[in-house]
Amino acid sequence: MGNLVQAELRKTTTTGLWWGLLIPTAVLALGWGLATGLLGQFFVDFASSNDVDEVSDFLGVSPDQWKVSLFGMARAINISTIFPMIFGALAISGEINRRTITTTFLTAPSRMQSMLAKMLVYVMWGAIYGLAIMLFLGIGVVITSEPGQLPDAGGWMMLTLVCVLSSILMTMFGVGVGALIPNVAGTIVLLLLYFLVIENVLHLVLAYLEVPSVIGFLPNGSINGLTGSVSVDLFLSTAGVVPKEIEDVLRAIAGAGGALDWWWSGLVFLAWSGIVFAGGWASTQSKDIT
Amino acid sequence: MHDGSGLIAVQNLTKQFGPVTAVHNLSFTVSPGSVTGFLGPNGAGKTTTLRMLLGLVKPTSGTATINGRPFQQLGQPGRVVGAVLEAQGFHPARSARNHLRVYAAAVGVPDAQADQVLGLVGLGSAADRKVGGFSLGMKQRLALATALLGDPQVLVLDEPANGLDPEGIAWLRTFLQSYARMGRTVLISSHLLAEVEQTVDQVVIISRGQTMFYGPLDQLRQSQQKRVLVQPSDINALATALRAEGVQAIEQLPDGRLAVSGVDSRHVADTALKAGVSIYGIQEEQVDLERLFFQLTSGQYAGYAPAPYQQQQQGGWA
Repeated sequence: MGNLVQAELRKTTTTGLWWGLLIPTAVLALGWGLATGLLGQFFVDFASSNDVDEVSDFLGVSPDQWKVSLFGMARAINISTIFPMIFGALAISGEINRRTITTTFLTAPSRMQSMLAKMLVYVMWGAIYGLAIMLFLGIGVVITSEPGQLPDAGGWMMLTLVCVLSSILMTMFGVGVGALIPNVAGTIVLLLLYFLVIENVLHLVLAYLEVPSVIGFLPNGSINGLTGSVSVDLFLSTAGVVPKEIEDVLRAIAGAGGALDWWWSGLVFLAWSGIVFAGGWASTQSKDIT
Repeated sequence: MHDGSGLIAVQNLTKQFGPVTAVHNLSFTVSPGSVTGFLGPNGAGKTTTLRMLLGLVKPTSGTATINGRPFQQLGQPGRVVGAVLEAQGFHPARSARNHLRVYAAAVGVPDAQADQVLGLVGLGSAADRKVGGFSLGMKQRLALATALLGDPQVLVLDEPANGLDPEGIAWLRTFLQSYARMGRTVLISSHLLAEVEQTVDQVVIISRGQTMFYGPLDQLRQSQQKRVLVQPSDINALATALRAEGVQAIEQLPDGRLAVSGVDSRHVADTALKAGVSIYGIQEEQVDLERLFFQLTSGQYAGYAPAPYQQQQQGGWA
C-alpha cells in the first residue's frame, strides 16, 4: 500500500496541475479576503450610523467590535474550495482520459488498493489547498479589516480547522465524482453547474416552500454549513441569548441558510463524499478497461 | 500465490460486448522458453483476449491465468507480468524518467531501475524529455521499458512493432528472443504473420474470436502441401499419366501450367519422361505462410474490391 501511495504522490508532483490550480485558488481567496474587509468596513459604518441598539445589546459589544469579517471568510472558503474539488475530480477521470489507468491497474495488486492510495494522496492535497486558502484569505482580510472585526486567536484556529476540513472533503467528493463519471469535461461541468447553479436554485425553491432545513442535508448546503455555522457561532460568541430568527438570518448571510451545526454539516457532507466514492469505486471495480 | 511456472493458460474464454461476441470459446497455453505469436486480423479479438488475461476486461465466461492464477490474485502483478498494450498510456507533460519512477514506486522496485530499463530500450538520452514530444516508436520503447520495470517472468505485448522502424523491429526481435531464452514467457500479438515470422517459435492464430491454429510454426509450414508447378508439352497426356499412377490432386492453372500436389518434382519429371511428354519448366512452390494465414483468417470484415472506374458520359460540348 505504501508503494502505491508513493506512486500516486509522484503522479501528482510530476505534472503542473497542482500549482496550476493552486494559483487561481490563492488569487480567489486573496480577492475574497480583501473584499471581505472592505464590505465589512462599509457595513459597520452603516450600522454605527443607524439605530442598532437591539443587536448591540444581545451581542454585548458596539458595532465597531462586530466580527463581520467572519461571514465573508466563510463564503470565501466555500467558493475557493471549488478548486481542490476540481483537482480531485481529475484524479481518476484524468487517468481514464489519458489511458494511464491501464498501467496503473497493471502495477497494482488490486483496483481497490489503487483507488484507496489515490484517495489518501488527494486527502493530503486537500489539506494543502485548505491551508493555502486560509493563508491567502487571512492575508486579504487582515489588510483591509479593522482589528475589531477580525476573529480572535481561537477563532482563527477554528476557521483554519474547518477550512482545511472543508477543502479535504471537497477534494474527496471530487475524486468520487471523477470515478463515477469517467469523463473529464463531463465531470467538471457537472460539478461546477451543481455547486454554482443547480443547488443554489434548489435552496431558493426549498426556502420558498418553507422547508429550508432540507438544505443542510444537500451536498453544497452541508459543506457551506461546515464553515457558515462556525462563522455564526464565532460571531455570536460574545452574545447571550440569541433569537432563533436572527441566528437564521446570520446563517443566510454566511452563505449557509438552513444549515445544521458545523460538525453535523461536516458529517453529512462526509456521507455524501462516501456515497459518491462508493459509487465511483463500484463502477471502476467492474469496468472493462478497453 | 502463483506457482512461478511462467505458464499462460487460456481456457474456454468468451467475451460478449452487448450483442457482439468479441472472443468465442478460446483456448490455448503459452509455455516459458519460447516466443509465442498471437495472430489474427484486426478485430479478431486479440486485444480483448490479452486484456482479459491481464485483468483489465472481465470475461463473460472461461478463465485466463498466468502462473496458475487469475491476474487479480498475483499479489504484486508488476513483478510477475509486464505488458505493452498500447503506446498511448502516458501523460504528455511527464518526462520519460518521471513516468517510469511513478510505476517503479507502484511495482516496488528502486528508482535506479527506471534508468536501467531506459538504457535497455535505448531511450537513455531522452530520459528527461516530455513524453508528449515522443514519436510513436519512442513511445513503444517506453511502454516496453515500463513493462520491464519489475523484471517480470512473463511478457505480453500487443502489436509492439507498430510504429517501430525496421531497425527497431530487428532490435525488438533479438531482445524478445533472448528474453525467452532466459526461460521466460513471451506472448506477442500481431495482425501480420510476416512481421513476427522470424521472431516466434509458436503461433496461436485466431479469427472471429475463435482459435484457427495453435502449435509450432514449423507444424504450420508442414501443414500446407507442397505443389509442383510444371509446364509440359502436352497437358492432357501428363495429367493422364499422373492419374494412372494414383496422383489425383492435379489442377490446371490459368497460365497453362499444371499444379500437382502430393508428389515431388522428380516424380513428376520421371512420369513425364515415361509418357513421352517434354517438360519446358518445372518448379516446387515455396510454402507461403502469409497465404496460409489468409486462408485461416479470411472472410472477417472482408471488403469488396472497388468497382471499376467508369467515366461519366459527358454532354456533347467536350
